[in-house]
Amino acid sequence: MTITEKIMARHSGRDKVVPGQLVWTNIHTVMTMDYLGKQTFTQLHKLGLSTVFDKARVICVSDHLVPPPTPAFATMLNEWREVVKAHDITHFYDLGRQGIAHQIMVEQGHVLPGTISIGTDSHANTYGAVGAVGNAIGVTDAAVAMATGKAWFRVPESVKFHITGKWQPWVMAKDLSLHIMGMMHWNGHLIYKTLEFDGPAIAELDMAGRMTLCNMTVDLGAKNGIIAPDEVTRQYLSGRAKGDWEMIASDPDAHYEAVYEVDVTKVGPTVALPDKLDDVVPIEKVVGRKFNKAFVGTCTNGRVEDLEIMAKILQGKQIHRDVNMIIVPASQTVYLEALKKGYLQTLVEAGAAIDTPSCAACAGIHTGVAGDGDIVLSAGNRNMKGRMGSKNAQIYLTSPAVVAASAVRGEITDPRTFDV
Amino acid sequence: MTTIKGNCWVASDYVMAYDIIVQQYWTSPVDPTENSKWVMAGVHEAFNRENGFKDQGYTFIVAAHNFAGGGKSIEHVITGLMGAGIQAVFADSFARLQFRNAINYGLPFITCKGIAEHCRTGDELEWQVESGEIHNLTNGKVFQSIPVAPFVSEVAAAGGLMPFIKQKIADGSIHQLS
Repeated sequence: MTITEKIMARHSGRDKVVPGQLVWTNIHTVMTMDYLGKQTFTQLHKLGLSTVFDKARVICVSDHLVPPPTPAFATMLNEWREVVKAHDITHFYDLGRQGIAHQIMVEQGHVLPGTISIGTDSHANTYGAVGAVGNAIGVTDAAVAMATGKAWFRVPESVKFHITGKWQPWVMAKDLSLHIMGMMHWNGHLIYKTLEFDGPAIAELDMAGRMTLCNMTVDLGAKNGIIAPDEVTRQYLSGRAKGDWEMIASDPDAHYEAVYEVDVTKVGPTVALPDKLDDVVPIEKVVGRKFNKAFVGTCTNGRVEDLEIMAKILQGKQIHRDVNMIIVPASQTVYLEALKKGYLQTLVEAGAAIDTPSCAACAGIHTGVAGDGDIVLSAGNRNMKGRMGSKNAQIYLTSPAVVAASAVRGEITDPRTFDV
Repeated sequence: MTTIKGNCWVASDYVMAYDIIVQQYWTSPVDPTENSKWVMAGVHEAFNRENGFKDQGYTFIVAAHNFAGGGKSIEHVITGLMGAGIQAVFADSFARLQFRNAINYGLPFITCKGIAEHCRTGDELEWQVESGEIHNLTNGKVFQSIPVAPFVSEVAAAGGLMPFIKQKIADGSIHQLS
């Protein structure tokens, strides 16, 4: 069996599962957040229940609406707080201790290798970075899991991406994600599949990069993305994991519907053109294109490592006068660490605005939404029309390194040709 | 044998959840009547008015790849379509979040390869539920879809996942789910 099949078998009380099978599994943690959380608790009440299956394993986070930009959202947040408090939820990451839910789930150790965690936001795939099955579900599924500690799944077919070669300077996991997006297209090949990443280039990848890679598998249409736990995972989880876990990996004779090889040596900085995620080009094709807004943050690229690479590029430089740059750390923990390491100082000195950890403009709700005619260079995860606000804005997606180098020049710039 | 007959609306590839329910309604209560008023508002200009899609009176949607994609988990997409009278969606492939939601609410999302190429908006279709055969009564073509799995039928028969679970809690069989 593959790692995902093994996890689904283990948590549904079976020795074996096969792709296509429908199973009910135990859930390690259920995440819900301000935007849909109230609806989730309402569904729970409709089941005739007033308590969750385990107060310490239902994780509540305020991330989409904080700090509230309108009175309506402020009221929504108040209702959300009230319902979370009424259920005496142990882990409530509200404004002041908040972060983007997926970042919180992993960094605070609520996701463990070999288990299944679900959340009411599509990028729950991020949890695969530590070798868990991370899966996005709607409020009804979340309510059922909050009631019973269980969810139903169709066991997915497994597809492997074997990543070899050496990472080139200034090339990030985001570039590989976008490269795979361009390679596979958004046309149905990977819908409902589990994507497993392995190989020497994955073994070398830090946890931040693994989170980026697994995060964007949902945008490939996949059910989940997963990287088997290893020494990097063990070190990362040491002092974080809320619970015991053990190593787990795919069997040597596991069946994959397809295996794709990618030599990361050949992957350079990569850009998705506005409107369609799979309209992907190597950076050379778009160098010199002008833009007026730069955005780095989100559950895809708001981590310390992302801020670090930008600080390296922006050290002693000034952001171009025609570019407004907003940077949003993925959590308060990330914010504090970047502050202590001096990255935020470097970024502010370069002329970037740092905003409160939240989903920010990525969901088009607040903190620097796009207006008519804006051209945004973003390190986020989606670029469909209207995603960040106006339908008359264009969004290019790329890595934090590309955004930082480009912000200085005011035009899309290859960080490999940039004088750091 | 159960058969459902009615006319269809044919969508293109990549009809996104974002356009089926546009952003201003994402935080509305999940309610078929309410959600159906503005369902499909972002998909086609003609549907961008109150009951614009619902008033067309379609029974089925026929689509190609990745129906209801874009990665939104909002359930309004499904309840909106149900409230508008849609009884099944036939497509090459579905986005997984909405595929789950559809099962949970009892709206059949039926995988049927290539059907969109042989149907036009307004064609009358007859769906034979158990066998999965779909007959296009307008042009005489017949398609074999993947029949509905037993679990899906059970949930649909209970009226959706919520009543299904409620029943299991009531009769004490909830812990036997595996």
